[in-house]
Amino acid sequence: MSALLAVIAPALHGLATQLPSQAPQGGNIVGAQIAIGSLFSLHILIAGLVSGAAELGPAIEFLGYVRQRRSYDRLAHGLGRFITYYFSVSSTIAILLITVLLVGFWGHFWTTIVTIGWWPLFIEAWTFVLQVSLAYLWFYTWDPLRNFKGVHMAIGGLLAIASFLQVFMIDVVASYMLTPTNPQNPVRLALNPTSYPLTVHRTVGNLAYIGFAFGGFCAIRYLRAKTAEDKRFYDWAGSFGLLWGVSMTLLQPVVGYSYAKEIQLHSYGSWYKMMFGSLSPVFLWQITLLGIMFLTATLYFARRLRTDEARGSGILKLLSVALVLTTLLAAQPYALGFSYESVAAAGLNRPFWEGGLINPLGSMIPWKVLALMFYTLIAIAAVVWYLRGLPGVVWGHARRGEQRILILMTVLTMLMMVTMGFIRENSRGPFLISGEMTIQGQQDVQTAQPTPTPQSGP
Amino acid sequence: MVRRLGAAYDWLDERTAIRSLLRKGLYEAVPVRGAWFYTLGSATLVLILLQLITGIFLTLLYVPSVTEAWASLNYLKEHDAFGSIVRGIHMWSAYILLFVIGLHMIRTFFSGSYKRPRELNWVTGVGLFVLVLVMAITGAFLPWDQAAYWTAVVVTNVPAYTPFIGSFIRALWRGADTVGPITLSRSFGIHVWLVPAILFPLIGAHLALLRKHGEFGSYVNYRGAYRTREGVDVPPAPAQRPTEPPYPAAPSDELWAAPLQTEDFYPHQTFKDGIISAALVIVVFILAVAIGAPLEAIADPATTSYTPVPEWFFLPLDELLVLVPQQLIPLVLVLPTGGVLLLLALPFIDRGPERNPFERPAVMVPGAFAVLFVVILTLLGSGRLFNL
Repeated sequence: MSALLAVIAPALHGLATQLPSQAPQGGNIVGAQIAIGSLFSLHILIAGLVSGAAELGPAIEFLGYVRQRRSYDRLAHGLGRFITYYFSVSSTIAILLITVLLVGFWGHFWTTIVTIGWWPLFIEAWTFVLQVSLAYLWFYTWDPLRNFKGVHMAIGGLLAIASFLQVFMIDVVASYMLTPTNPQNPVRLALNPTSYPLTVHRTVGNLAYIGFAFGGFCAIRYLRAKTAEDKRFYDWAGSFGLLWGVSMTLLQPVVGYSYAKEIQLHSYGSWYKMMFGSLSPVFLWQITLLGIMFLTATLYFARRLRTDEARGSGILKLLSVALVLTTLLAAQPYALGFSYESVAAAGLNRPFWEGGLINPLGSMIPWKVLALMFYTLIAIAAVVWYLRGLPGVVWGHARRGEQRILILMTVLTMLMMVTMGFIRENSRGPFLISGEMTIQGQQDVQTAQPTPTPQSGP
Repeated sequence: MVRRLGAAYDWLDERTAIRSLLRKGLYEAVPVRGAWFYTLGSATLVLILLQLITGIFLTLLYVPSVTEAWASLNYLKEHDAFGSIVRGIHMWSAYILLFVIGLHMIRTFFSGSYKRPRELNWVTGVGLFVLVLVMAITGAFLPWDQAAYWTAVVVTNVPAYTPFIGSFIRALWRGADTVGPITLSRSFGIHVWLVPAILFPLIGAHLALLRKHGEFGSYVNYRGAYRTREGVDVPPAPAQRPTEPPYPAAPSDELWAAPLQTEDFYPHQTFKDGIISAALVIVVFILAVAIGAPLEAIADPATTSYTPVPEWFFLPLDELLVLVPQQLIPLVLVLPTGGVLLLLALPFIDRGPERNPFERPAVMVPGAFAVLFVVILTLLGSGRLFNL
């Protein structure tokens, strides 16, 4: 990570020295968007893990206490260590983003959004302090409070609550940008139409993401493990991470669909862009990627059971076939062109057998909705069958193939995170705040500002 | 005085055997572990009794007709502070009852308490849960204000999606093609006569079965008393088995039906039951006084400006109906119907002796997801309603 910072810091420094005294114009706008988008993606990829770990870690510690299993405690401790290492990295990127890029490039927008979202951002800053204090306290009192597990778990519980609150507060501001409400009413602001679905979507997503991520990390450690004890632990932890990740992800079709429904009701332009416009190919990729993730996880389940000849691997192979078919259904494009918008503009919005470019099997209703339902049901069945077969598994026996699948799952999840962020942030375009402030509008206001003259002293 | 009371008690005991009845009722063995979770059952019973008492008071005034129903409740609201509080208690205890009975079912499900020999306890419990839901649904129609009328329009339309007999069920409930006077009187009849006539005998059966088999306790009590993960039957240590009724004293094939440690129902369990039930009754009373039961404007079928908002316990179903395209609605309605049938069949499907929730993934995982989905849909639904 220090290497990463070593690359980022000089680049940002260079960028900062190049910052224009006025907002960027023309091609620079695209450059600013790319710089902000890339760094935000990087921030979210790390911050999502930190938030997920701060919520999942205490839960795993509690589970280990209830089940009296040391492996859970070791895993939770590992997550605690991860938080203490990476919290500052994620925060550094966030602060650089705000102080250098947002304030520098889009000062007018940033001033406006801070004015509107002052209370959520104020609370978020304090939950940030609470989160970092509790995270370090939780990790560094692991051994001193070994005989006071209840107290330690209570600290973990508070850490989880602080992390959730932090995510919620930043979601309030992020969702407001897509579905603005009356900014004078703090309750309306906090519960704007997409703040609920975005918070649930992101919380569940962060919890899934950390599961897949430590699954991949444990796979790498398993491949490097020297002792039988380490092999047993990393094999179990990798499997646990994947199982947890899949269990959380299978909630996402319902939550994500609900989120899309709210966008349709309250920000129709953004929704149209995602479903029928320029972002529809990315949306299609996202729904296909979801199927690929479920399929990959089910293949891991089948392989891991087969390695120890545990029962259930045959059923899991059948479920994999069902997932392939469902993914093929979900991946059907509705418009056999770039997007429905372009097909309709060309006057070809009729079924392909009538000479048009429309594929009815690719429609959202009912086919993609059905595919999402099948994803969920098949994934639940896969989790059940894997758990049924687990008593026959001997930890530490896993082969390299299974570990590669775990690593692949981490990569697929990161892709999914970036894809979702890309869709959400670009669906507003050309607006920065939906219906209220466009990118060009912010540039015009900002460039119209007179350059402040230095004030002479009294 | 004390001597006379004692003599009266003896006189009564000679004729009714009340002394042995009380002894049997109060001094039976209950498990030590899981006792606080068992307070959910007694709290459910207390809240149902609160419903009964306040419901009787309300029927003294309420008139189940479209011209008088709203006016009778508005009279309470405007002119009768005590009656208004009674109505508040009726509504808030119903809301809390739905929550508590749901928690009670979840506890029973996760601890595996529905297994042999308590299958019928579970079946009667599911029946009670469904009946309480029906009570809540029909009760929501009775104020005949805007909220009640439009809830009736939406809810009575739901069965219409049932294949083949849907229209018949809707017409039977509504008494006509549209919601009207007969819908109200039928819903009132169901609310105060039909459902209670089934509900109270079922409560009796549920309690009698509970007494017959004893409370289950916690799965921790049963460690080593059933088949282990490796498939080896481990007999329990005989010295640790209780000998008190109603639990089996000798090893038998019902071995797993006995907890390791027990205590007397009175005063141990009754104390815990009393604390939780009293706390809930106080909460209900505070809510009834502070917030009360709302009454909107009188029902107006001709209005086009009113936005109906479902009761909170409808939110998961309402959110599903909002999300799912119309052609898939029959498929979605299979979920609650199939869910109830699955719940009824659960003890006959999951027949293994294993109680540990971590060792029963085939049942626990779908169950946990069902609970999670209900919670998430409720959250999403409430967020949507806030922004209507």
